[in-house]
Order: sequence, then structure tokens, then C-alpha cells
Amino acid sequence: MALLKAKGLTKRFGGLAANNEIDLEVPEGSLFAVIGPNGAGKTTFFNMVSGFLSSSAGSIELDGRDVTHVPQHEIAGMGLVRTFQLVQLFNGMSVAENVEVGCHLATKGGVAASLFRPKWFRKQEVEVRERAMELLDFVGLSAQADIEAELLPYGQQRLLELARALAAKPKLLLLDEPAAGLNTQETESLAHIIQKINAQGTTVLLIEHDVALVTRIAHRIAVLDFGKKIAEGTPEEIKAHPEVIAAYLGVEEIPDA
Amino acid sequence: MTSPNITSPKPAAPAAKFASRFDRFQVVLLGLSALAVCFALIYGGYLLTVMQMAMIYAIFCVGLNFFMGYTGQASFGQNSFACIGGYGSAILCVQYGWEPALALIGAMVVAGFFALIIGYPTLRLRGHYLAMATFSLGLITYDISIQWTSVTQGYMGYAGIPSLGIGNWTVESERGKLVVLAVLLAFAFWLSLRMRDSRFGRGLRAISGSENGAAALGVRVPRFKLIAFVVAALYASAAGSLYAYTFNFISPEAFGPAMSILTFTMLFVGGVGTIVGPIIGAVVTSLLQEVVRGSGHYQDIAYAVGLLATLIYAPKGLSALGGLFRRKKEEA
Amino acid sequence: MPSIVELTQSLVTGVGIGLIYGLIAIGFSVIYNASGIVNFAQGVFVMLGGMFAHSILTRYGLPIWLSAIIATILVAAVGVLVQIFVINPRWRRNAPLFAIILATLAVQLLIEQIVILTLGDQPRTYPEFTSGGPLKLGPIAIPYQLFWVLGVGAILVFALTQFFNRTPMGRALRACAQNREAAALLGIPVERMLIVAFALSAGLGAIAGILITPTQYTAYLIGTPFGINGFIAAIIGGFGSPVAGLVGGIFLGITQSEAIVFFGAGFRNIISLSLLLIVLMFFPKGLFGGFAKKA
Repeated sequence: MALLKAKGLTKRFGGLAANNEIDLEVPEGSLFAVIGPNGAGKTTFFNMVSGFLSSSAGSIELDGRDVTHVPQHEIAGMGLVRTFQLVQLFNGMSVAENVEVGCHLATKGGVAASLFRPKWFRKQEVEVRERAMELLDFVGLSAQADIEAELLPYGQQRLLELARALAAKPKLLLLDEPAAGLNTQETESLAHIIQKINAQGTTVLLIEHDVALVTRIAHRIAVLDFGKKIAEGTPEEIKAHPEVIAAYLGVEEIPDA
Repeated sequence: MTSPNITSPKPAAPAAKFASRFDRFQVVLLGLSALAVCFALIYGGYLLTVMQMAMIYAIFCVGLNFFMGYTGQASFGQNSFACIGGYGSAILCVQYGWEPALALIGAMVVAGFFALIIGYPTLRLRGHYLAMATFSLGLITYDISIQWTSVTQGYMGYAGIPSLGIGNWTVESERGKLVVLAVLLAFAFWLSLRMRDSRFGRGLRAISGSENGAAALGVRVPRFKLIAFVVAALYASAAGSLYAYTFNFISPEAFGPAMSILTFTMLFVGGVGTIVGPIIGAVVTSLLQEVVRGSGHYQDIAYAVGLLATLIYAPKGLSALGGLFRRKKEEA
Repeated sequence: MPSIVELTQSLVTGVGIGLIYGLIAIGFSVIYNASGIVNFAQGVFVMLGGMFAHSILTRYGLPIWLSAIIATILVAAVGVLVQIFVINPRWRRNAPLFAIILATLAVQLLIEQIVILTLGDQPRTYPEFTSGGPLKLGPIAIPYQLFWVLGVGAILVFALTQFFNRTPMGRALRACAQNREAAALLGIPVERMLIVAFALSAGLGAIAGILITPTQYTAYLIGTPFGINGFIAAIIGGFGSPVAGLVGGIFLGITQSEAIVFFGAGFRNIISLSLLLIVLMFFPKGLFGGFAKKA
């Protein structure tokens, strides 16, 4: 069954179609990748799916429910959690606290609960702390738990963002270029972690620039170029696809801004 | 700053969380503030008034810190809610004979309600637009408190406000007032800590770190901003009421735009977004003002230059200076 | 119900003061578009313009036009100093927005106090540029100074439009406005452009102050009201082109002076601030479009 279903998804900026009638189905439990040259519209697609950007046309279905015009926090509440191409850490909070924010959806309680601190609330706070430490352990950051997040080296910031997203117990995890700016070794351990997350039952949809990485770990790949889906298939099919080869060889690489 | 040195990882210790919230420097600053209160209690005189004022502003700033520090939004209009608190208490006590303590809470309810309906449309704005919208809110309230003479008695001010008390017990002595204010500040501070270290507080701080990041994790950003705004307004209203009960007189000037700028300064001097910053800032700024008072216009010049220097050299305020020293030591 | 004459007369007054607001609004937009900063000390330049012109006029007995030019240059120099010593250190460090706002407010306080110490706290004024008047059109009186304001305003807007569209420096400023990083990559010296923006903006404020002083007065404390009204005008105009700023100013000026007729002078600020809130909430890009950037 498809966990995420995009039908004819289109986004126009002025006269320019950043995404043009994209159809995509992400099966539950899969590790799905969207690749494409820079400016192909990958991030635009992500932003629409996660509710950060309204679509010009088309529809998005999550877990069988239409979420085309649902606000982002509600989409997150339905189990779709995303990370960002430019890491969006919470500066001024410690590494552990960053992950604790990730538990937001999985917990409850507002001002009143924080003031009166009933028993369930205190228990929840302890659980949140434990869960944060568990997740930091999972990505290998438990030693840095009390450091301010902004002091982490870039590679570890990426891992922290991943741990934070996991804290929200996502059904579908959207990763926007998680390997951007990482060295080979860091990319390797990240790939390993992503595969582990997927193996534990979380559906993963990732955007990537690094084709080698994607063809190695993804079950299925969709290719975008100039806002259009030009191909979809297994890694082997994609590697042999003539249009994909043309898109990648024909377009000169533009360095990330 | 960009190349942090994490070669010696600290062992994770969740139990040490409370201790790690305050560094030693902040504890020292807090202790010095308490000392200043004791000093005022012993020596009395004008210092009592200065410290009373500092306690009231500190309560205001603790609230403002929720909106500006933790949530990272700018409001230059919190004086509106202090104004509602002050005049609300005065009117409820004098004209309707309410108990001062009850009137304080009544005024808070009114201020909170106003914050809710004003905040809802206003908080959609960002950056300079939000700053200016809130600033004009403060100016409008100020103008209304001058113009609406039938209720506020205009420029003349509102006199004859009772002192704080419950039932037959009222606090009339200046020393007693300072003690009560200090206790109330401690209570307000304690409440703020409870709110800060919770799911709610973490959500707020996440917003100030990255609105997008927070929203992606399901934090309802507009709602959280609004609640932080209301919390700040409740604190401001309480501070306004306490001002009225402490000095038994209020005028529009007390809650004018100057109040917004002064409290803003306090928050910055103390350290915006830090735990003890609001209190340190209120005490230090109040004391400094008295030190340079009497030198006429040079006072304001010293004040402005000091503020500019703080903004450049200690952008995170006094309570972050401890961290600055420590980092330097580690680098050396 | 106020009479037609009253309404028309206040319309004339409104246009006059509105043009002044418009000039200040353009000053706000020039800095905002180049740097993303709203200089809350903008009103101080208006005050300094009038104060300097008055001092030069009375102390050295120079003709008004020469005093005006010297005063404008001096205020522009103050603008440059503010940029270099106050704004730049923070801008370079990427200080949070409200730290910069607070810094500009501190600058305002600082300059006001220096003015009190050096020039005194008494309000002052000087005669209109052209003596005689006002021009009588039936029962409506139009002061000659209004024509000066209109003329100078029109010339300035024309000159600024030419400057932004035709000169390399103007185009560089606009490039900074659209995308600072890209402008820097293209080799445009962004920091120097900010200095130009502050000089330009301070000069505009000074001219506004010099023009308005004969019909009102100037004193150390007039900065705040002019600054706020100029900002409101900029918001109404949408922080866009010079014309938009001027139109925003005239709209505000007319609204204000008609509001005085209907509700009384005490409500002038309440009305214009409420107008600001309405525009901010419902027309965040300004009433007259323009290429407003999102804050």
C-alpha cells in the first residue's frame, strides 16, 4: 500500500513551473529516493508534501487521507516528519534538548501541566529524557548530549537533526539532502544509519544529490529534471535509463549556493 | 566559534541537568542581586525605592523574556499590559472597593484577554513589522491613558491607590513592601522556570532557534507564540498592578513607551533568553540609573553609550559573560 | 459636521505634512532596501536638519538656501557616522534584529541629549523661504512654504528615481536591495553601499526637517513623532519606490489632518497608529504595492 501518494502535483512561481504534474507513490516500508540535478524541483516537491508550501495544482495523500491543504504541524502530527537541506538546529539549546523537542508530538501537556506538574507529566518528562538519550546513542552522539547544539561540527549537526526527527516517531521520514556537505566517511555512517532506520519499519523518502549513495541504499528511485518526473524504477533500471543519463551528463554541475 | 573543540567528551549525566542550567557566574550574579535587596532593607532610604522598582521591573522582564528570549519575538508594546494592570487595579480597588490582591488577578485576566485578541492578528507579522506594530500598540495605550480622562484622570495621574494586602493585613512600610515584592519575584521566577523546562518551554525555545524546524516537528508555531505573548502580558499586568500598590499612585508616564525601552534595555543588559538575565538586568540597570542620576543630561548620554557598548561587546548580556570567560580559558 | 471649507483647508495642511512624511518614508526605504534594517533613529535626522539650518542661519547669517545645503551635508555626515560606528559593528556580527533596533533607539537618545547640551532644549523656528502669503483661494489659505515642499519633493523624487535607475551606484544599491549575497558576489562593495544609503537617507530626513521647520518648529524631541509617522508612511507605501513612499506620506498626512477635524487633536496619534495596525495586518505589502520585500 502506498503511504504517500502525490497526483499531478504542480507548483508555479510566476510563470515558471518548479514542479510540473508530478505523480509519485511511496510504498509503506520502502526506502525511496528522489534524485535530480540542482534546480530540478526536488526541494519544492518536499516542501509541498510536508505542507511548507501550498501546491498550485494536484493532490497529496498521506496514509489514505487527503492532506493537500493541511497545515504543516498537522501533517507532522500524522507521522510525516522532515529534515532540511540547511540544518535547522535549535541554537541556544543543548544537543539533548534538541532531541527532546523532537518528542513534542509524541507527548502532551501545555502551560497548566508544566505549572502543576501532575504525576503523568513528571513521568513523561523522565521518559522524554530517556528517549532522547537513546536516540543520541543510536546516532552516536550521546557523548555530546550536554553541549550546545550549535557547537557541534557540521557532520554531527546532520546526525542530530536525524535523531530529532526520529524522536517524533515518524511513519514517513523525509530527508532533504542528508549527505550534503559530509565527507566520505560521514556519508558512509549516515547511509548505514538510514538503512537501520528503514529496517526498523520507518518509511524513508530522501532527496539526494549523491547518485552513488542513492543507488546503493534506495529500493526505488524517481528522477526529476526541470520540474518533471522523467523516470522511476529500481536503482538498476535508473542507472540504465537513457533520459537519466542525459539529464546528468547534459547538465553542467552548478555548485550549491 | 566555528571550530569547536570537542576532543574531551563529557559523560552524559541527565541528573546534573538542574545544576547545568545555571553556571557559577549566574549564581554569583543572582546572589549579588539578593545582597542588594538585603542592603536596601538594612540601610533603607531611597535605595528601598530603587530596589522596589527593580523588583517590579524584574517581574515584568521575566515575562518579557518568555516572548523575546525564549520565543525570539520582538515586542515593544508590553507596556500596554502593564498599563492595563496598573489602571485596572487602581480602578477596581478605588471605585469598586475590590481587595488589592483580587484586583491584581482581575486585572491580569483583563490583560490576558486583551493580549489574546490583540496578539492573534498581530503575531502573524514578523521582524520589523512586528516590532513596529507592538510599539504602536504601546503608544496607542499611552495616548488613551492620557485622553480618556473620565477613567484614568489623564495627565494628573491616579492617586489614593491602596497598598497590597489581603483582608485586614496590608503592607504599608517601605521595607515590608520590598520584602513582599522580592518574594513575589521569587515566586514569579519559580513559575517561569517550571514553564521553561517543560514540553511547552522547549517548544518556545525551538521556535526561536528555527521556526521551520519547530513546525516540522509538529510544534504549532502561531499558537505557541500567542501563548508566550499572553504569558508575557500576564507578567506585565502583574508588574503594573504591583507598581500601583507600591507607590499608591500611577500616571500615564509610568507605563509610557519609555517603559518598553527601559525594560528592553534591562533584558538585554541581563541577557535575553537566559534564565537569570531578566532579574540581573533589572537590578543592575536600576542601580546604574541611580548612580548616574543627578548628572543631568549626562545621565542619558552615559545610559545610551552604555547600552550601545553592551550591544556590541556583550550581545548576550551580563549573565552570559561567565560563559565568555570560560570559553576564553578553554581556548587558551 | 465640519464645513467644506474646514475639510478643504485641512486637506491642504494634510498634503503639506504628508509630503514631509513621504520624504522621511523614502529615507526609511532607502536604508531598509539596502540593508534589511529599519533605522528607528530616522526621526533624529529630521530634527537635526531643522536645528542645524537654524543654527547656521542665526549664527553666521548665511542665506537660507546656503544654510539648508550645509545643514543637509552635515546631517548626511552624521548618518555616515551612525552607520560606521553603530550599525556596521552589529551588522557584521549578524546581530539579532531587535539588538539593532535597540541600538538605533539608543543612538536617537544619544543624539537628542547631545543636542540639548550643545544647542539647548528650546524650540526654534525661522521664517518661510518666501515671505508674504499665504495664497488665498477664496476661504482657503495655502502657505507659500507648501509650494516649496511640493517643488522640492517633486525634484527629489525625480532625482532619486533617476539615481536608482540610471547611475551605476543607484543600480548597485538596488542590487543590494534585491539580493545582498549575490550583490557581494558581483563585486559590489556592500558595506560602502550601506554608507551611501545612510548618507542619502539622513540627507532626505534633513531636507524634510528644513522644509517643515518654518510652518511648525524644531526642537530636540520632534524626532520621535516624525520618525514614527515617516515609518507609517513607508509601511503604507510599501517600502518600494520613492513615488510609493511619497504617496504613502500624503495618504497618512491627509488621514491625520482630517481625523483632527472630526475627532480633535488629541486623537491624531491614535488614528494614525490604528491606521498603521490596519495596514500591517491587512495590507502587509502596503496599500500601493511596490516591490515590498517580506520582513
